[in-house]
Amino acid sequence: MKNKTAFIFPAFITEFTRNEIEFLDKNSVDFNDYLHRASVALNIDLPEFSYNTDVYRNDELNSQLLAYLLSCAFSDILQNKGIVPELIAGYSMGIYASLYAAQSITIEDGAKLIFSAYNLVNDITGTGIYGMGAIIGLSTEDVENLIKNNAPDVEIININNEHSLVIAGKKKDVVIVLKKAKEEGAFSTAELTVDTPYHSKYLLKYSDSFQKYINTISIKSAKIPIISTYDQREFTKLSEIKSEFIFNLTGKINWNKTMQKLIENNVSEIYECGAGKDLKKISRFIDGDYKMKSIY
Amino acid sequence: MAQITDKTRDEVKEVVLDFFAEECEIEIDEISEDSNIISDLDGDSLMFLELIEIFKKKYNLNIELKTIGKYAVKNPVQTIGELIDMQLLIIEHENNILDI
Repeated sequence: MKNKTAFIFPAFITEFTRNEIEFLDKNSVDFNDYLHRASVALNIDLPEFSYNTDVYRNDELNSQLLAYLLSCAFSDILQNKGIVPELIAGYSMGIYASLYAAQSITIEDGAKLIFSAYNLVNDITGTGIYGMGAIIGLSTEDVENLIKNNAPDVEIININNEHSLVIAGKKKDVVIVLKKAKEEGAFSTAELTVDTPYHSKYLLKYSDSFQKYINTISIKSAKIPIISTYDQREFTKLSEIKSEFIFNLTGKINWNKTMQKLIENNVSEIYECGAGKDLKKISRFIDGDYKMKSIY
Repeated sequence: MAQITDKTRDEVKEVVLDFFAEECEIEIDEISEDSNIISDLDGDSLMFLELIEIFKKKYNLNIELKTIGKYAVKNPVQTIGELIDMQLLIIEHENNILDI
């Protein structure tokens, strides 16, 4: 059976490789065009990007938009070079760039969806009440037990790989679980720099309002199949895309199983379309006959 | 308890250097025992875990990851040399490493 190529899209940028701008320049891409298109669509001013711009580093919405736009730009570069994916997956908020790459939404509409999702959950974002955390080195079962015994409202909202998972809930509870995880022998734990408990039960109440907003956006069927991080089904249809937006915001995701699904589908080359190398890093411990290809 | 010989140390060092050279896409001679894993090599805890899995298989070690995690919290490593020394202790003591 033919080996396939996949694009995967990150959600946030935890650390730039600092090769991103050089890659854009080398491919004669003016990233300001991407920023301008999103700025006009959202009626905001996204300033010129540099690695140290505070407006992107310290603002959750701006950093989501930056991650999205860089992912779109990198996907354009690859596709213009003739590297076209046969499957796509987006890690968490990476779904928006996934759908752009699959020609289902425009750059502008992806930015609007991110903007809308962010503003919808705004009454809990920034309250300082909620948070997310990452645990490396304990099994899912270990973390489930820690949660059960110490802070039962915390949820495991994503399994990155066999040894790395993400939790969400009330910040004070997340901190307790992270502390207990370290005592239990986790190699590392970290509070994530987000105030929104993405993929947790706390976002379920926003499903209807987000659905209403999605219905105002012009979305087309995907030209390239996408693997759901929610339940790992392959989808292209409009109705499935609309449902996936909701699942992706309010439901638990499983990146480990999503990567496994790509590999089961004979994907042998995976391009991480985005800034940083977070998805390459968490692909450790995801076994299979595939190669994570560097784009820069 | 396994006996640690000069040969074991050489083997462990070779595996560690090969691993970081491949992961960091640099030449082996660019890495020394003084190289800082995080600031010089951009290492992370998942790399550390992967390396431990390599040694668990190579030396058929009976040790739980969380035991190593507990040991590492009390005895953090920063350089490649310290990492090699910790791997040797893991090979030598396996699940009893917390007793040393």
